[in-house]
Amino acid sequence: MKEVLRFDNVSMHYHSKQGETVALEKVNFSVAEGEFVAIIGPSGCGKTTLLSLAAGLLTPTYGKVISDGYSFGYMLQKDELFPWRTIEKNIFLPLEIKRANTSENRSRALSLAEKYGLKQFLKNYPSSLSGGMRQRAALIRTLAVDPDVLLLDEPFSALDYQTRLSVCDDVYKIIRNEKKTALLITHDISEAISVADKIFVLSHRPAKIVAEHVIEFSETEPLKRRENKEFSRWFEVLWKELNG
Amino acid sequence: MKNELISKEHLAYLRRVRGKSVAVNIARIAILFLFLTLWELSAQNAWINPFITSSPSRVYKTIVDLYKNGSLFHHVGTTLRETLLGFAIAVVLGYVIALILWWSDALRRITEPYFVVLNALPKIALGPLIIIWFGTGNEAIVFMTVLIGLIVAILNMLNGFMATDKNKLLLLESMGANKLQILTKLVIPSSLPNFISMLKINVGMAWIGSIMGEYIVSKAGIGYLIVYGGQVFKLDLVMSAVVILCVLAAAMYAVVALIERLVIKNK
Repeated sequence: MKEVLRFDNVSMHYHSKQGETVALEKVNFSVAEGEFVAIIGPSGCGKTTLLSLAAGLLTPTYGKVISDGYSFGYMLQKDELFPWRTIEKNIFLPLEIKRANTSENRSRALSLAEKYGLKQFLKNYPSSLSGGMRQRAALIRTLAVDPDVLLLDEPFSALDYQTRLSVCDDVYKIIRNEKKTALLITHDISEAISVADKIFVLSHRPAKIVAEHVIEFSETEPLKRRENKEFSRWFEVLWKELNG
Repeated sequence: MKNELISKEHLAYLRRVRGKSVAVNIARIAILFLFLTLWELSAQNAWINPFITSSPSRVYKTIVDLYKNGSLFHHVGTTLRETLLGFAIAVVLGYVIALILWWSDALRRITEPYFVVLNALPKIALGPLIIIWFGTGNEAIVFMTVLIGLIVAILNMLNGFMATDKNKLLLLESMGANKLQILTKLVIPSSLPNFISMLKINVGMAWIGSIMGEYIVSKAGIGYLIVYGGQVFKLDLVMSAVVILCVLAAAMYAVVALIERLVIKNK
């Protein structure tokens, strides 16, 4: 499989008047095409820094982030839909930004929205949608420009537990369906196990990768995985590594 | 909750709410009525000296006289023009300057102490300078109005621009947006509530500016009537001018409130 993203000995230092913080230290990992990779780590260990580096929003202090020619779509903790735009206009936002607001691209984005049950909400404002629907709209917005890789920054953490499980299931299916590569960062162990093909575990700051696991399940759907016996075994393993 | 069948309890609740708001309105009108009556009676019965306190009937008569000799609309028009022109210039210029300051971190940091000082400075202190620079025409008054509103407009709008949601900024950056796109797609639309509140504040500022300007230098206008009335001891005229001012200021505020409601409805 082709590699779409590789971190090569990446270190990241932050400077402020109070001093220098090392957020990441010699991080090495790669994501192959079509893979769903999860990175778990304790809160405040520099997970978001890692995603910003992957998206090219930050330049590493040392090392290299290699992502030859692949495009990225970013999904944040909250849906961040613009309240003054309708769902449809929100979905078109990245097209406008990338100056790709052609009728062809628009209709492609709209057909995605229709395929995933947003048709009746297109002319609505975000405030009239439920949290789950809003997050789905945010995903469709991310997919509107057809990115090769999705970067997911704890995209379910702002939802309540019930919604979270179903939205996670939902988003996972859409991403698989659209055959996208995904890199998820989270501090939620069970979420990572329920979606990922591969999990990397980060240590406390300065963050390093301390473990790598290939997760194999007979099922692929998140909710079904949670019922599997393997699930609790993985949970225990990762829990120990995270707190070790 | 749209329900065709409204329960008895809900009906009673609605009636109570409506009853309360009716009571509040009655109380508001009653206070005005009581105040005017007491004022009129005190003047009629010479409990107070109507020469220095005037009275509602005298105010009414003065306004009617002003209307009859044709000077009412001349004075109102003069002040209204100055106020609206000063208001418009302060708002537009303030908005543009705030945009520039949002755009340039360096400029914002360098000019910050100047804005702090200018904001604290009582602009009326510049009165004599304004007369010398702009003469004794309307320009001086408009300039005073702009001066009083401008700094407030800049600081209010800049606050709004700087308060743009960090995560939404990150989202746009991740899409590869440039600064102009961030400005037009996010910063300007998300600061709309700040713009409305800036308009509201500046309505008040504009009236302060134009009336103060007319105190310093004027040949016509409501501020002129107040100063003139005071100088020749025609306190009926002073009171009448104040009443007219109350009505105009309230009307202008109502217009802004209407704009606000239209804008919010569109959201």
